[in-house]
Amino acid sequence: MFEFLFKYPASVFSRGQFVLLGGWPVWLLGLGVVAAGAALAWHLRRSPKRLTGGRPAVIWLLQTLMAAVLLLLLWHPALSVATLRPQQNVVAVLIDDSGSMAMQEGDRTRLDQAREVLQSGVLDRLRERFQVRLYRFGAAAERIDDLLGVAGAQPATRIGEALQAALADTATLPLGAMIVLTDGADNTGGIDRETIQQLRQRRVPVHPVGFGREVISPDAEIVDAVIPVRTLAESRLSAQVTIRQHGLTGGKSQLTVRDAGRVVASVPVVFRQQDAPLTQTVNLTAGSAGVKTLHFTLEPLAGEVNAKNNAVARVLQVEAAKPRILYFEGEPRWEFKFIRRALGEDSSLQLTTILRTTQNKFYRQGIVNAAELEGGFPSRAEELFGYAALIIGNSEASYFTREQQTLIREFANRRGGGVLFLGGRATLGNGGYAQSEFAEMLPVRVEDRKTTFHRDEAGFELTPQGLDSLICRLVDDPAANAERWRKMPLLADYQEVGEAKPGAVPLMLLNVPGRRKSPLLTVQAYGRGRTAVFATGGSWRWQMSQDAGDQTHELFWRQLARWLVSETPGVVSASMPKTVLSDETRAPLRAEVRNKEYQPLPDARVEARIVGPEGLAETVELTPSPHEEGVYAAFWPALKPGAYVAEVIARRNEEEVGRDTVQFRREEGVAEHFRREQNRELLEKLAEQTGGRYWTPGAAKKLPEQISYSEAGITAREARDLWDMPAVFLLLAGLRATEWLLRRKWGVI
Amino acid sequence: MNAIRAGVVASAALLCIVGAAYAQRGGFRFFSDEDDAPMPADAGEKTEFVFARLRYPSGRFWGYAGYWTIDYPKADRQFLQGLRRLTRIHARSVEEVVSLDDDKIFAYPWVYVVEPGHWTLTDAQCKRLREYLLRGGFLMADDFHGSDEWEVFMASLSRVFPDRPVVEIERSDPIFHVLWDLDDMMQVPGIVNRPYFRTYEKDGVEPHWRGVYDDKGRVMMGICFNQDNGDAWEWADDPTYPEKYASQAYRMAINYIIYSMTH
Repeated sequence: MFEFLFKYPASVFSRGQFVLLGGWPVWLLGLGVVAAGAALAWHLRRSPKRLTGGRPAVIWLLQTLMAAVLLLLLWHPALSVATLRPQQNVVAVLIDDSGSMAMQEGDRTRLDQAREVLQSGVLDRLRERFQVRLYRFGAAAERIDDLLGVAGAQPATRIGEALQAALADTATLPLGAMIVLTDGADNTGGIDRETIQQLRQRRVPVHPVGFGREVISPDAEIVDAVIPVRTLAESRLSAQVTIRQHGLTGGKSQLTVRDAGRVVASVPVVFRQQDAPLTQTVNLTAGSAGVKTLHFTLEPLAGEVNAKNNAVARVLQVEAAKPRILYFEGEPRWEFKFIRRALGEDSSLQLTTILRTTQNKFYRQGIVNAAELEGGFPSRAEELFGYAALIIGNSEASYFTREQQTLIREFANRRGGGVLFLGGRATLGNGGYAQSEFAEMLPVRVEDRKTTFHRDEAGFELTPQGLDSLICRLVDDPAANAERWRKMPLLADYQEVGEAKPGAVPLMLLNVPGRRKSPLLTVQAYGRGRTAVFATGGSWRWQMSQDAGDQTHELFWRQLARWLVSETPGVVSASMPKTVLSDETRAPLRAEVRNKEYQPLPDARVEARIVGPEGLAETVELTPSPHEEGVYAAFWPALKPGAYVAEVIARRNEEEVGRDTVQFRREEGVAEHFRREQNRELLEKLAEQTGGRYWTPGAAKKLPEQISYSEAGITAREARDLWDMPAVFLLLAGLRATEWLLRRKWGVI
Repeated sequence: MNAIRAGVVASAALLCIVGAAYAQRGGFRFFSDEDDAPMPADAGEKTEFVFARLRYPSGRFWGYAGYWTIDYPKADRQFLQGLRRLTRIHARSVEEVVSLDDDKIFAYPWVYVVEPGHWTLTDAQCKRLREYLLRGGFLMADDFHGSDEWEVFMASLSRVFPDRPVVEIERSDPIFHVLWDLDDMMQVPGIVNRPYFRTYEKDGVEPHWRGVYDDKGRVMMGICFNQDNGDAWEWADDPTYPEKYASQAYRMAINYIIYSMTH
């Protein structure tokens, strides 16, 4: 319809530039319109006054518009548009050869449909106009001469890599456009920014032709399972499993997590909301140290089209390391004793404490040698940053020097450690924290007054976030957990703090009759680390007021301590965006390297020693990232399926800075079972970002003509007349008809 | 009538004389005037640490009212002055009397018991004491002497912990080093030993620092046997009471308290 009215397709208008080909100056056109308007007004005034009120103005407007359009046509309006020169440009046609294209859609596969589109004349007409280069792609792109070898057998879809390969292959050629025949079921999570940038630099429009249903039903699919990459031995973990389903509303299933065949967790899943993704939390215990591959499996529901997308694997690195926590306490108190007891019994943590027993004496516990903390609280970054977390007990801010305060702040911000501030009679608001370096790093606001601490029993309640948090998870069942917390004894004391800062999460609130509910336990991410405030020194009552065998106090403190340390990086911190590479061969390694003061180290030599399946052992060098100081990266081809270990070692001046290990798995024949429906959103976005257009198979027959309008390759500027567009004549006729109809209505014909 | 009145007065006088003499021998003692101490102005302050004194039954009608009150409250309050001056512990200036008959004791993780050589705990009290100690409470036992009193002490304690031995605490244990290093300790005599040519009572010649440990190797009960630290606190302000005993009694008890707040 658009093309009928406006003579050209919409893409011509979006790419073209409006020009007036008539030789007369444009100001003359403006003058003409004004003169015509004036003449018409004069004419209407001289006419017998049969039109009253605003009617003459309406008639004048319609006539002036008509005169303006006619005058415009005299100036010869046209569109200047770049078009590809016939037979001088290359068009790349990429056909998706991945497993998902072999999926049956009615009586034919998606690949059959794609072949049909090309063979129904599109390919021939393209060849008439351009030099056509044909590629097939899946896990890798390959140039082909014909469609005979395309069978839908490749194990993955990487559209971005295919586009890059085609760009590279035509680097010296005038590439005019790309046509991609695909279902868009990309396994890399999308098309990377670099590819889009390259396409835009060369101004190559990409025209995707989408195949396949956009919804596959009935089917459930595990979209993702998010677990921490690393954890400490025997830690409790929370995995967030996202499940997408269509046509299974009301269905019930069971989500099971297995480690080496052993069930470690299992929860029921009910699809209550129609076609909405569901995020299911699964709690499990990490177990002993070592590398674990956790398999998340959703029991297939009756009639599911595809059961192979009901399982995913994730690698979990359970570390044997025992992170050190430094707990500084300003005076002997029961909270100190019971925290020590709770954490001291955790075999995955090392607790070192320093307690001011008298005005001039410290009592140190958990030290590794006599020199440790000999001078009291550390004053040097090297000394303090050796710990993974800090607990600051009941101590005035002024006890710490300004440098020590800054160091504590940098401990979280730069070193990436966890800092927990406890309540007490000499701390937080009472301790002048509002005016100290601590104020900024606290997750709550604190008032500068000495009356915030109350040695009275206090109740408390968990917030919804607290009920979800692993820190407060005493029992796995959420309802039982909430009930358990409701029955906890009162705290021995409490401290008023202000509201949680933006981004901070209050997990517990104080519930004291006659007072507002203020945050009791609040956590937040701060810089590279995290900080928390537990506004009481009286949780020891949880231990003394419950049976000796009760472990809730211990469990709470261990979980809080593990939260403090679990993500604290070392001087060398190796990572990968994904620890399971499903039919991907590029293993992106990343390492952050810092010195002992945790300042980024840009001049280190970083290498990864990789050990893989079948005795594979290789060393790869990581190069500095141009965007981030102290960050090193490398892509390494993990060709064989199996388990890999990469030990990243950083050296500077031949001296080792540090090392870290990252573990990952390469799986084969998995990716194409996921996201099998057409990803139209991705394809439309690709077209939009590159100046192309998304095509349905039915509309694709017009492709050869319409891809001519391109800025890429060898082009010629052409002027396309606009005066003879049917829309212009309809407009003129419409204006005249409107005037006639109005006059008729008003009875002044 | 006069004869009856004279008899009552004579009996009362006799009872006072006998009672006073018995008390000086270390027998039953009531809360006496000499143990009294003024109530400090800040007695109502809410603090972290409270000196809890255990009230317990001691087998005899008059003893129930008496043995747990020995040196009470002067010893406690005088000791607390030292504790407040010498450490950073936020301590209340007056003691709190607790018993094993209700759960209030669980709010006081440190408890002092005097003269446990006379305690006769009921089964329920034994059970509560066991629970108290296993949850993390600490008990300091003091001022009992000789084999007879040890037997009485153990008669109840063995029902508290039938499965745990009472052992001598090694000098290397942190309890003797947490604040002061107490490597060389002496027997601390009670006021009955005045003028202190002899420092023991009954057949308790050798002082012992014994303890009951929990499964993690922490002292739950500090048992000061054949010594009288309570008297040392109480009479620390008496010029005739040797300073060396008072000093040790303060140091040892403060070590016990800080130990109980750190282990």
